[in-house]
Amino acid sequence: VRSEVRGAALDLSWISKVQVNHPAVLRRAEQIQARRTVKKEWQAAWLLKAVTFIDLTTLSGDDTSSNVQRLCYKAKHPIREDLLKALNMHDKGITTAAVCVYPARVCDAVRALKAAGCDIPVASVATGFPAGQTHLKTRLEEIRLAVEDGAAEIDVVINRSLVLTGQWEALYDEIRQFRKACGEAHLKTILATGELGSLTNVYKASMIAMMAGSDFIKTSTGKETVNATFPVAIVMLRAIRDFFWKTGNKVGFKPAGGIRTAKDSLAWLSLVKEELGDEWLKPELFRIGASTLLSDIERQIYHHVTGRYAAYHDLPMS
Amino acid sequence: MAATGTGPSAREIFATLEYGPAPESHACALAWLDTQDRHLGHYVNGMWLKPEHRNSVPCQDPITGENLASCLQAQAEDVAAAMEAARTAFDSWSRLPGASRAQHLTRLAKVIQKHQRLLWTLESLVTGRAVRDVRDGDVQLAQQLLHYHAVQAHAQEEALAGWEPMGVIGLILPPTFCFLEMMWRICPALAVGCTVVALVPPASPTPLLLAQLAGELGQFPGILNVISGPASLGPVLASQPGIQKVAFCGAVEGGLRLLIQESVWKETMRRLQARMRQLRSGRGLDGAVDMGARGAAACDLAQHYVREAQSQGAQVFQAGDVYPDSPFYPPTLVSDLPPASPCAQAEVPWPVVVASPFRTAKEALALANGTPRGGNASVWSERLGQALELGYGLQVGTVWINSHGLRDPAVPTGGCKESGSSWHGGPDGLYEYLRPSGTPARLSYLSRNLNYDTFGLVVPSTLPAGHELGPSLPLPYGLFVGGRFQAPGARSSRPIQDSFGNLHGYVAEGGAKDIRGAVEAAHQAASGWVGQSPGARTTLLWALAAALERRKSTLVSRLERQGVELETAKAEVELSVRRLRAWGAQAQAQAQGQTLQVAGLRGPVLRLREPLGVLAIVCPDEWPLLAFVSLLAPALAYGNTVVMVPSGTCPLLALDVCQDMATLFPAGLVNVVTGDQDHLTRCLALHQDIQALWYFGSAQGSQFVEWASAGNLKPVWVNRGCPQAWDQETSGASPELGLRAARTKALWLPMGD
Repeated sequence: VRSEVRGAALDLSWISKVQVNHPAVLRRAEQIQARRTVKKEWQAAWLLKAVTFIDLTTLSGDDTSSNVQRLCYKAKHPIREDLLKALNMHDKGITTAAVCVYPARVCDAVRALKAAGCDIPVASVATGFPAGQTHLKTRLEEIRLAVEDGAAEIDVVINRSLVLTGQWEALYDEIRQFRKACGEAHLKTILATGELGSLTNVYKASMIAMMAGSDFIKTSTGKETVNATFPVAIVMLRAIRDFFWKTGNKVGFKPAGGIRTAKDSLAWLSLVKEELGDEWLKPELFRIGASTLLSDIERQIYHHVTGRYAAYHDLPMS
Repeated sequence: MAATGTGPSAREIFATLEYGPAPESHACALAWLDTQDRHLGHYVNGMWLKPEHRNSVPCQDPITGENLASCLQAQAEDVAAAMEAARTAFDSWSRLPGASRAQHLTRLAKVIQKHQRLLWTLESLVTGRAVRDVRDGDVQLAQQLLHYHAVQAHAQEEALAGWEPMGVIGLILPPTFCFLEMMWRICPALAVGCTVVALVPPASPTPLLLAQLAGELGQFPGILNVISGPASLGPVLASQPGIQKVAFCGAVEGGLRLLIQESVWKETMRRLQARMRQLRSGRGLDGAVDMGARGAAACDLAQHYVREAQSQGAQVFQAGDVYPDSPFYPPTLVSDLPPASPCAQAEVPWPVVVASPFRTAKEALALANGTPRGGNASVWSERLGQALELGYGLQVGTVWINSHGLRDPAVPTGGCKESGSSWHGGPDGLYEYLRPSGTPARLSYLSRNLNYDTFGLVVPSTLPAGHELGPSLPLPYGLFVGGRFQAPGARSSRPIQDSFGNLHGYVAEGGAKDIRGAVEAAHQAASGWVGQSPGARTTLLWALAAALERRKSTLVSRLERQGVELETAKAEVELSVRRLRAWGAQAQAQAQGQTLQVAGLRGPVLRLREPLGVLAIVCPDEWPLLAFVSLLAPALAYGNTVVMVPSGTCPLLALDVCQDMATLFPAGLVNVVTGDQDHLTRCLALHQDIQALWYFGSAQGSQFVEWASAGNLKPVWVNRGCPQAWDQETSGASPELGLRAARTKALWLPMGD
């Protein structure tokens, strides 16, 4: 439950002078991927940690209560019990960080998780996900309804047109209203970075979203053509650090879209560790939005424990 | 498999999320050392050379100190054996069609590709450098270098017609170096048809491995020979009969100097420190390490520098602790160093960064250019106009805008000032190992009779030499300095005789002070001349050509009096006029270099041709007018200002030309000092603020010039006492003149928003 007041008053001087150096960001992105790796016990531990950061997600037109229920069960039991025992991790209560669904499926998810007897939060996308091209009034209403249905976290998309036309005050005001509509629920703001045009815009949108009181800033909906990339992440992480240096508030980071392999997830962990430090490596400040990532992590854990590569049927599906 | 070893368990790591060891297996490097019984010799003519009765030194792991192998130290006869192999190989290698050499280099690239793991683990094991850097950077670039130069070899007959390979090249590598530095030099040398003898410091196995890979290709085993030995063998290598050039190479990159604008000083320092805290140092063979170790000597050097800096009042930030006896030294940021303190002037060792503030871009430029070094620099700015202004203004060989450390085989890298004047990569790199066809080979032995201390020190006294006879044309008198004729500092004159031994006239006896004045005048004129458009330079050279034509009759009769036949004299004047016109046109045609496109980089690399600065030229005695003009014209066309010593036997024609230059040229653009050639040569060679020196005189003078110019490593061009046929296009208007009259700068411009 949120207690401290998030955000800050709008201060456009925080973004007016900023220029992101594109070639330098690309270089740094390459470097981190090439120069950080973990092996053996470290890899297993890091992968289990990655599991606890996952917002296990299903966002499809054909979602029904049965597959949402299956997803929730997987969120509660992300890794086969015997594998956890082999690593002496069975008593750590390893679950994913949250389950993420469309607003219409929030009730199903809340019910399924309650039945499984766990307190994993349900996150709901909202505000005309994924394009955000609906009236502000209905976008706000969507948030309120999802919260009423029991969503503890709301993943909102921002209005890209406000960024592309440089209407930063208007963007701030909109996100402020989202914030208010969320009430006690956490606000995760999706910047849809693939549609913002430049890294400088990514930085500015990140800063505005944080000033407006977001608990998390999130890269993408997973529905754009370009999703979570390292260069974009570096810019957002630097913005988070700048915001922390200016206000003392820690805002979380959530990459989403296209993170499918265990190896990818390790790279994301080291990216956050390098850029923000260990204090950000906890579910309150770091999430990975993914649907198929978990099964690859489980396969890697299986291999680490048994020394064999798993067949498709060796691991339960989500 | 789970739960192996005694390290922390997954459960513990789960709580801390620490990095663990990520060792890269170096079994193959050890296995390769085993093939030599851990006993490395030299690699000569496609075979291992392990002579008996030689000292050997251990090759140690820089971190554990473990003995990896013992390496034989070469002696003079081993150098001679390598030289012999290279010389024999040169006969066949240089006569091959370029296409065949291209094929051979491509095969070598493929062999490197096949054995790359061996290469990168061995290099990392022995040098302690981070293995991922070697794997992703050096090994890839080594292959690219071979491929690029294979293409150059393929096109050689067409693209480099009129040039021939120099011969056997000696390569001397410093105590710490990266094998890539060797590749930058051997690839162009081999491509154009030269063969190489490399003298590597003891205990450096990677060059030996490369030589073995090259040697085992079968044909042409002797093109690359590697011998390991102490630096004292350098002179032995340099004086081998037949060696045509000795190339040196600098040590691996040291520390850095950072200039930060005052308005962003605090923010930048904070970010820098935050970033430095995240750097991981450790064993080079670990896959998750940013910084390897470079051994105890490097640590001591850094530690000494940091202590000194502290005692001189600097602030020191270290991202980590300093442990005695540890091979690792933490990344260190030094700031607030007083500008006049010794540490502010000294070279910064690895891994230290010295940061200092500046107020304006102009000040930054002055600070950056105010050092004797001129290798490379990077400019970070979001304002393109400002970044370009700095990029053009920096006196270095390579400038990276908003990036650092990028390299590509097609982009020439080099330096100016004390960072040396040779080039690697690109077309410029090829010319380092070529000479115009027909140039006489370098004689390797140096005269031991030459006394460097006294050469040209004293000017023999001159006295009045009797009556001036013959037709007396009005003769200008004085040194042409700063746009006018001036009396020499010594207030004495030397007689010039005509071909009959009669007195032709007196010229001023210039000395050290006159040279100083001439160089000053040339420096003052430099900024104005550099700022002129190529078109304006053309106009001026053409105006001088026209003036010479008008003065033709005077010049011809002056030449006749020096014993030149009338027809030849006329031809010399006409040819001089033509040379001025041709180089004038070149001034415009050569434009401003070219744009290169480089793999993996979005954006262009500009290859700029910049003036050297003040160029000093000592003219030959022969062809007193034509040689003077042929040397002057390219120097001016490329934007240099000039101090010239005209023909010693007949300086009068040059002075005639000065009369026209006095009216046409801006003051100080060209300065002509007459006098004793040896003495003036001595003054020029020992002058630190001359950027290049061309010398066309005696063999002894050439030797002196090369020796003395080492003081500031200015580029020199000497003729070793061989007269040239200045009336022939191939030597009098050789493209070599254009190459030598400017220096290259690579300006990297990555793009992206």
